[in-house]
Amino acid sequence: MEPQVTDLIAALPEGIEPPLATTAEQALHQFARDLARKPLPVGRMRRLWTLGTLQAKIAAAYFAWWLRTLRTDADDRLRQRDETHLKAALQVLGTMSYLRGAVMKVGQLLANHPNVVPHEFSDVLGRLYFEAPPMHFSLLREQVRNELGGDPEEIFDDFETKAFAAASFGQVHRARLKGSGQRVAIKIQYPHIGRVVRDDFRNLRATILPMRLSGDWENLMETFDDIRRMLDAETDYEHEAENLRIARSAFAEDECIVVPRVFPEVSTRRVLTMEYLDGVHLDRFLATNPSQELRDRFGHMITLACSRLQFRPNLLYADIQPGNYFFMPDGRLGFIDFGCCHRCSANDVDYMRECQEAWFSRPEDVRATIIRAGCLTPRQQADERRMQLMKDYTAWVWEPIDRDGPFDFSNADYFRRGVALYGELLKRRYVRSLPVNTWITRLIFGYRAMMYHLRARVNIATIFRSESTIGR
Amino acid sequence: MRVTAQAKEQTRQRILASSRKLFSQKGLERTTTRDIAGEAGIASGTLFNYFPSKEVLAMTIVAEALDEGRADYAAKATGQESVEEALFLHIVTGLRRLAPYRTSMNAILERAMSPFSPSPDSADADRVRRDHLEAVAEILANHARRNDQTRNQAAGEPEPDVATADLNFVAMHLYWSLYLGVLAFWSRDQSDKQEHTLAMLDQAMQLFVDALNSGDTEENTDGATSH
Repeated sequence: MEPQVTDLIAALPEGIEPPLATTAEQALHQFARDLARKPLPVGRMRRLWTLGTLQAKIAAAYFAWWLRTLRTDADDRLRQRDETHLKAALQVLGTMSYLRGAVMKVGQLLANHPNVVPHEFSDVLGRLYFEAPPMHFSLLREQVRNELGGDPEEIFDDFETKAFAAASFGQVHRARLKGSGQRVAIKIQYPHIGRVVRDDFRNLRATILPMRLSGDWENLMETFDDIRRMLDAETDYEHEAENLRIARSAFAEDECIVVPRVFPEVSTRRVLTMEYLDGVHLDRFLATNPSQELRDRFGHMITLACSRLQFRPNLLYADIQPGNYFFMPDGRLGFIDFGCCHRCSANDVDYMRECQEAWFSRPEDVRATIIRAGCLTPRQQADERRMQLMKDYTAWVWEPIDRDGPFDFSNADYFRRGVALYGELLKRRYVRSLPVNTWITRLIFGYRAMMYHLRARVNIATIFRSESTIGR
Repeated sequence: MRVTAQAKEQTRQRILASSRKLFSQKGLERTTTRDIAGEAGIASGTLFNYFPSKEVLAMTIVAEALDEGRADYAAKATGQESVEEALFLHIVTGLRRLAPYRTSMNAILERAMSPFSPSPDSADADRVRRDHLEAVAEILANHARRNDQTRNQAAGEPEPDVATADLNFVAMHLYWSLYLGVLAFWSRDQSDKQEHTLAMLDQAMQLFVDALNSGDTEENTDGATSH
């Protein structure tokens, strides 16, 4: 089983332990109620992460729990040393400025796991991303001036001084392009955030490095560095603009999947100007009580979008969460935020193809792909329990695809089994993995959570087979 | 007589224009009074009839740039800003005007505006400090007034007399130190387009406002932003 919030909170070392008077679950309910009443306390950089907020505690607790699961020996002296490092690491975590963004992402991941957190909590967390305007207009104006050479009111028409959405490392404003009158969404980055991210990661790495919790430590550090590189790339909006261009060209108009167009003449590394998409997010869409047919149709489009990107331009869209999709009034699906996209290397593509071919056509090779996925040493390969668990998890991943006809994603049991299997892998410290699996796992769970909330029935097998053929 | 006064003013303006150009191109240290006089088309000795030293000249330029910055602030402020945003805008408009001399003027800024010693250079330095702090006091007073109005309207009471900002001595010294810190940071900021300064300034103003507010919670009634 995966950890419950109470277990996580209990996993915090002494001195870090949050003063939760009641149960964690009650506190979460309280937290959710408080959030509904006031703007979220995540906005400004000044709010250093003092582990004072509940979401901070939960993220820290996950972190502590995760690190503990890596310790393979039971030597008390080592454990004590680890506790000291862990405490230091959590204190570093508590002063990290960047975590304003990170906690949102962690929160969203947690929110997508209904087993872990109460439903209200996941609902609220799902909305956080869009309700936290962190920059006041005078600061934003200076940033735009620095980037585009003029005040936003001079560069654009009808620039709305109030942000309509929070974004990774910044916020989004509506305006119109001068001349054409085109409605645009302008994503503006908080100044200096790139350096803050780099500093945070360097500090955190330096603090946890001495722990060397298991034989798989090197592999973990590789994954850690991979995440760091991804976040680094996310702070460069030109990188995202390129992802948007790649993704946009992957869809034909009649497929009804819209990736916003980028306007490069008013975009830089810190400002990204895109076509504005009209539409609502998942919660408001569901509030209209859509028919099963409509839910299935959007489920089909989301599935097609992810598969297409994966198999044609080889982009792994690792940030599947309700805030990144627009259910447009004309029935199209809008698809935004391409900062957290992994561009697959030739090796990644080869690995994914091998896994797919083995599962569907060459069952005798499945074992070899599991070994490759987990970078397993000969000793680890000989551990039959490990091999079986990885195979069960792999079977769970392929289950919706490995069948004929539509798969009903509203099936809570399916989702729970996956979370339990993944939790078991973590619990048993079977964490060695190719770095690309970080993004694949996010995609797998993000996609399934999205489909679960949408309660969609999708013939994923058909889509997957036709799209993966395109990639060959 | 009138013509003479006008001619004098024209010469003064020419000297200032030449100095702005040379200071921004070569920096304060590497610009001589001879260079300035040459650029302005006057004899070296004549320059001293207008400005007793290069430093006084430089401080005059700083003071004028900050005056322009304050005018920019007045044009941009809507009156609806939070107090930290208003303070941010007030400083950042000044920085924009000082930008051409950013790396060349730190010596003069440090010397003229330091709280450690009164300025030896000119009355301009004192005026800069006074004007800046008066503007800050006004921002805080306006904010306090707005808060009072909101509170009283909410309570259905008549509007009180306008509250005057009773800025306490500690708060103003704290503010001035932060401001000089921002100037020092900015003049040495190596980041692209000095974006680190923007983040630093934003957080510095937040820090200042937090400090004022925390004083309030301890029933220190001297703070101007009591709410």
